[in-house]
Amino acid sequence: MSNPPSDADRPLADQLSSRPPDEASGPGDTRGSSVDQDEFQNTDSRAQLQAEGRGEAQLDSSKTPEPAPDYSHLPPSDRDWNIAERKVAGLFFLAVLGVLGFLVTFFAVEQEFGQPGNVYFTPLLGIFMTMALGGVGAGTVLWAKLLMVDEEAVQERHPFGSDPDERAATAKALRQGIEDTGLPRRKLLRRSLMLGAGSLALLPLPFLGFLGRFQHKERVLATTSWREGVRLIRQNGTPVKLGDLQIGGVESVFPDVEHGTLKADSPALLIRMRPEDLQLPAEQQEWAYQGHVVYSSICTHLGCPVKLYEQQTHNLLCPCHQSIFKASTGATVIFGPAARALPQLAISVDDEGYFVAGGDFAESIGPSYWERG
Amino acid sequence: MSHLEKVTDTTAGWMDERLGAAGYVRKSLNKVFPDHWSFMLGEIALYSFIILLLTGTYLSFFYTPSLTEVVYDGSYIPLKGVTMSQAYESTLFISFDVRGGLIMRQIHHWAALLFLAAIVVHLLRVFFTGAFRKPRELNWVIGVLLLILGLLEGFAGYSLPDDLLSGTGARIFHGIILSVPVIGSWATFLIYGGEYPGTEFLDRLYALHIFVVPLAILGLITFHMLMIWYQKHTQFAGPGRTEDNVVGSRFFPAYAAKAGGFFFLVFAVLAALGGLAQINPIWMYGPYNASQVTAGSQPDWYIGFLDGSLRLMPNWELSALGYTVPFNVLLPTVIMPGVIFVAMMLYPWIEARRTGDRAYHNLLDRPRDVPVRTGIGAMSVAFYVILVIAGGNDVIASVFQVNVNTMTIAGRIALIVVPPLVYVITKRWCLALQHNDEELLHHGIESGTIRRLPSGEFVEETVPLPLVYQLSLGVAEPEPQDHHSPAPVGTGFEKKPALERAPDKDGFFRPRRSASNGSANGSSNGKANGKRPEAELPQLEKSGKDKPPS
Repeated sequence: MSNPPSDADRPLADQLSSRPPDEASGPGDTRGSSVDQDEFQNTDSRAQLQAEGRGEAQLDSSKTPEPAPDYSHLPPSDRDWNIAERKVAGLFFLAVLGVLGFLVTFFAVEQEFGQPGNVYFTPLLGIFMTMALGGVGAGTVLWAKLLMVDEEAVQERHPFGSDPDERAATAKALRQGIEDTGLPRRKLLRRSLMLGAGSLALLPLPFLGFLGRFQHKERVLATTSWREGVRLIRQNGTPVKLGDLQIGGVESVFPDVEHGTLKADSPALLIRMRPEDLQLPAEQQEWAYQGHVVYSSICTHLGCPVKLYEQQTHNLLCPCHQSIFKASTGATVIFGPAARALPQLAISVDDEGYFVAGGDFAESIGPSYWERG
Repeated sequence: MSHLEKVTDTTAGWMDERLGAAGYVRKSLNKVFPDHWSFMLGEIALYSFIILLLTGTYLSFFYTPSLTEVVYDGSYIPLKGVTMSQAYESTLFISFDVRGGLIMRQIHHWAALLFLAAIVVHLLRVFFTGAFRKPRELNWVIGVLLLILGLLEGFAGYSLPDDLLSGTGARIFHGIILSVPVIGSWATFLIYGGEYPGTEFLDRLYALHIFVVPLAILGLITFHMLMIWYQKHTQFAGPGRTEDNVVGSRFFPAYAAKAGGFFFLVFAVLAALGGLAQINPIWMYGPYNASQVTAGSQPDWYIGFLDGSLRLMPNWELSALGYTVPFNVLLPTVIMPGVIFVAMMLYPWIEARRTGDRAYHNLLDRPRDVPVRTGIGAMSVAFYVILVIAGGNDVIASVFQVNVNTMTIAGRIALIVVPPLVYVITKRWCLALQHNDEELLHHGIESGTIRRLPSGEFVEETVPLPLVYQLSLGVAEPEPQDHHSPAPVGTGFEKKPALERAPDKDGFFRPRRSASNGSANGSSNGKANGKRPEAELPQLEKSGKDKPPS
């Protein structure tokens, strides 16, 4: 707001409330000042509202005496005005302090891991950034609330609809345009256009196809790196020997092939339990070895590694969605969203006493898919 | 004064000579925005997105989207010598070696959480107040699309560091895509470039995360805001507010100053969170390894509902004719969200069809005035909250020493039983609140003064409800009141034409209370309230319908 210099000795609130009424408010206004007298006269909506008999309320209001604009939120006296100004200015100065603190921290505090300043670096940056941004933000909001003239203004809405003639003309122009193209009458043109444009949809397909190597997709999904005679190794690459595990012990095992520990489909879990506790299905009994049994640790639900083994109950828990498998009965599902048992790997022991796989898993490991059968 | 005048004249003249924009700019500066705290929710989402763009651009200068194996040799000693992907290494580099990189990463992550939270709460506000009704259906659809894109964008960003937690999420995502009938395995090979995990996933996700999805979000936000600008914001009923006007602050300067200041306040809060509240400490999780997972793995909150639906789903799988359909994955993560999002987008038309309401609406509903819609909303929120709780059932089970299987079974039952219950309770609650409003309108507020009549009868005097509250209840004009005190004063506002009332059908949409609800009617409503609120709905509707639109 700007005021003539001659008024400067009066409190601003007085100056505002003594503004001539036509400056402060217009005909469309009901409370404070209108948005703009010109705008109302310029809009089509006003004429239309009147035509619909809805504009009368607006017109009537111009005859009623206007209530004085409400500046009660503004400071009542010069002194209060100055106090409010100082509050806002204080917040802006706080922002300057925040920026200075931020710069000092950024360039002066040691942030390398292990340095004493490391622990404080990020929190200090956060505090000073908050001061800087919050100072500007809070200062601006306070400025708007305390010092700006924020009277409640009223503005008419423009009705969206055009008149029926306009709509009909638009529809006609559209119709005329379509007819001018000849499409509605010329069958060959229409059909060949559809065919030609439709065939363009085939163009991206080779590009999409190039994104994935689909060769032998089914076989890739159905097989892992386990082969007959491949040793079971730990994460650190050492092979597992018969007797390494106590009863109740478990070991994460991987195939002893190149990058075997990094293969996403091959991680498995070797469990040792009392041979009498093992109650495997008939066709799987051969796959265990003296109470040692190996299951794929890729969950048949969504592929998380299932490795939480409970000795007493022989339960295997998947930590992602809490499916529970019974390790003693062939990792069958006893609770949770998984639908299938964890596939079991056939194992035996080679001449040197190390565990080796008897072949690949008999079925696909991991989550189900359409072609899985 | 004269100097300012010169500057403003020159500016306006310069613009007008080149763009002919003087008229448009003047109207824009004077544009009126209605004020209500709940209108800030969308602003928070917008500002979070701007902050995401700023911080994300900085992070992109240092991040490498590659699954190539490297041996770590950075300044974080505990991981020295560990083999990891370049993506994880570069995220560690940002966290420990880039000055201010950690705070940028943390602000970025917090801003993403806030972005989606603000979208969801904003969506609830728009739904419960009926702001999606004609003419704003398109903006509602854009809003739902923004929510979906926000979820995708958040998930993509969350997966980029390739730490143990996000890698687990990416593997679950792989299983979800794989579950889609017919095209599932093709789609995964296309996305991952071959068998999982492949080498290309992160490069593709990165292109989506920093270019395709943000660009789509930016475009839709622009359209969203242009529509708000053109259609003008909705407002709540109140003194002087009608379907045909907007009452509030002008855009310039007060509204612009408040909105601009609010941007910095949102940024300040995110800076405080980013500096002081640790989030996603990937160095503690370690690099991703397909054979490892941490117990209690949780996705970011906005994906939690999908994790919960996965956990609650029974293990149904269909195998027939040599093909498999894993409903235990397909139903909770593909079909359920698909149906929900489509239903959300279509909701404005579903409601319009049920109510037969084709009128323009610029005044917002109070949730209680539309019991069925509010019931549907509350029911949906209950459904969602149960899923989110179920998404953390293992953590809850271990904290409260409950069996995790019990949690899952309880969740399954709750998911079926609780939402309908919430619907019924909410609907009745709304009706009860309406009756309370009727009471207030027709009988005024209890004054606490008891008067004895000559006949010996005791009556309590009531004070009429102040006019400003009457108008806020959505009444078209002040009520003739049945009370013992003088009429309200201060009717400085002209009488506005009655609100456009939507035709009523099936109790879906209850009209705002109208003057024809006489005091006797109102009092009987109040008495029956406790006993049979449902039974008298038709009666209320009838009295509402009887009122001719003025």
